[in-house]
Amino acid sequence: MSGIALAAATLLLLAGCAGGADAGQAAGSNSTPTVTATETPTPTPTPASGTGAAAAPVIPDVPRTDASIGAAAAAPTVVPVRVEVPDLGVDVSVAPEGTDADGALALPSDPGIASWYRFGPSPWSAAGSTVIASHVDSLEYGIGQFARLTDAAPGTVVLVTAEDGRVERFVVQTVDVEAKNGIDWATVFDRTGPPRLSLITCGGEFDYSTGHYLSNVIVTAVPDA
Amino acid sequence: MRKTLIAGIAAGALIAVATAIPASAADGDAKLSVLHAVPGLTVDVYVNNALTLDDFTPGTLAGPLELPAGTYTVAITAADAADASAPAIGPIDLTLAAGGNYTAVAHLDPAGKPTATLYTNDTSTLAAGQGRLTVRHDAAAPAVDVLAGGAAVISNLSNPGEQSLTLPAGTVSASVAATGTTAPVIGPADVTVAEGTNTIVYAWGSLEAGNLALATQTIDGLHSNPGGVPAGEAGLVATNRPADAAPLWAGAAIILLIGAAFGGLRLRRLASAKADR
Repeated sequence: MSGIALAAATLLLLAGCAGGADAGQAAGSNSTPTVTATETPTPTPTPASGTGAAAAPVIPDVPRTDASIGAAAAAPTVVPVRVEVPDLGVDVSVAPEGTDADGALALPSDPGIASWYRFGPSPWSAAGSTVIASHVDSLEYGIGQFARLTDAAPGTVVLVTAEDGRVERFVVQTVDVEAKNGIDWATVFDRTGPPRLSLITCGGEFDYSTGHYLSNVIVTAVPDA
Repeated sequence: MRKTLIAGIAAGALIAVATAIPASAADGDAKLSVLHAVPGLTVDVYVNNALTLDDFTPGTLAGPLELPAGTYTVAITAADAADASAPAIGPIDLTLAAGGNYTAVAHLDPAGKPTATLYTNDTSTLAAGQGRLTVRHDAAAPAVDVLAGGAAVISNLSNPGEQSLTLPAGTVSASVAATGTTAPVIGPADVTVAEGTNTIVYAWGSLEAGNLALATQTIDGLHSNPGGVPAGEAGLVATNRPADAAPLWAGAAIILLIGAAFGGLRLRRLASAKADR
């Protein structure tokens, strides 16, 4: 981190004054739009010394963009279409999903089709947690393949295939069973920080009166170096 | 023009530059973007008498600048001005609150005279899956409606007003027409309303001069997250599953199968009844 801070500080020096926003965003992992470079020690430019020195006027280097409509179109997110965990015999297709009527992640009722949160990162995004979830079971379809995720050992390989055919390889780091009422969803769906994959299903105890599991199984995997 | 500055400005002015734009962003700083929306005029922008944007061209968005809360005097001059003493627009005082997000727009008033407006950008959090669309009228033109899908989604917006909508994320084909009419004076144009983002669309230029156009600014990171992942409904792998649950589920499956069989039978009967006719 100190290396990054130093790099950011150097950038700020080079940029003179107003480059702080860019440098901070490049180095930081903040999710809010208003925080920039606040933790980065920034040098104060030394005022020009002497009188009548032939220094050019200090005009701040303010970033400029072409505001024409469509000029700043963001690159489309690469859509994942398939998840495999070969060691566990998991091989499901993936559909892009948003939220349901309750504001929770929408999931296809068929456990053979996993849900990718399409507003968050994908495995080919520069940063953040890709969330792919699938039903552990269904009254109509029975037990789903993601039920096997609790058997994933650290190091287990996870493969995600994109619609254009490219494959990203991840390795499992942790498998957690967490009570649903204690999960920090801002962390699970974090759009910043190192690229990572969160495979989610349900597990733990079942509340037979409400028809819901009390916990989520969250498998965290990182890109295979 | 830089030469003029070097010749004409003493060391004191350099310090003025340093004080106008602080070296580092701090917690609680305001953010100020600047949009140039006056057609055909390249300008310089001075903040507290310090040159901040040199040779600023129409249709360009600059910033955001990170500024401590306070009041800033902005003057916009012709690009060849030696200083801020004879501004084409302003000077105007911009009062920026701590943590606020603003866009100052140099634009034409309804009569076609250059002016400037400070807008406060809405950075409140959006529900998951939603985007915000803000439309600002900065053109020398009468009041307008913004049409999407053939219907007015924004009505009677006049210079320098703004209106805002919250929409499911997606692409909107929008056009701008004089209020009460549907013949576009701008567009239709595809506007991407990105999730968790305030997409600000500026109508600028002049109706009379035939150079009306749209400019956009986006402020992202306003998203919120799904509130859960409901990924199970049957209890088939529950750790508290009763020991005799398996036979129960087998029984349920049989009942479902029977139900399906009867359903199928009924459909066939209906089909044959139709065929008989």
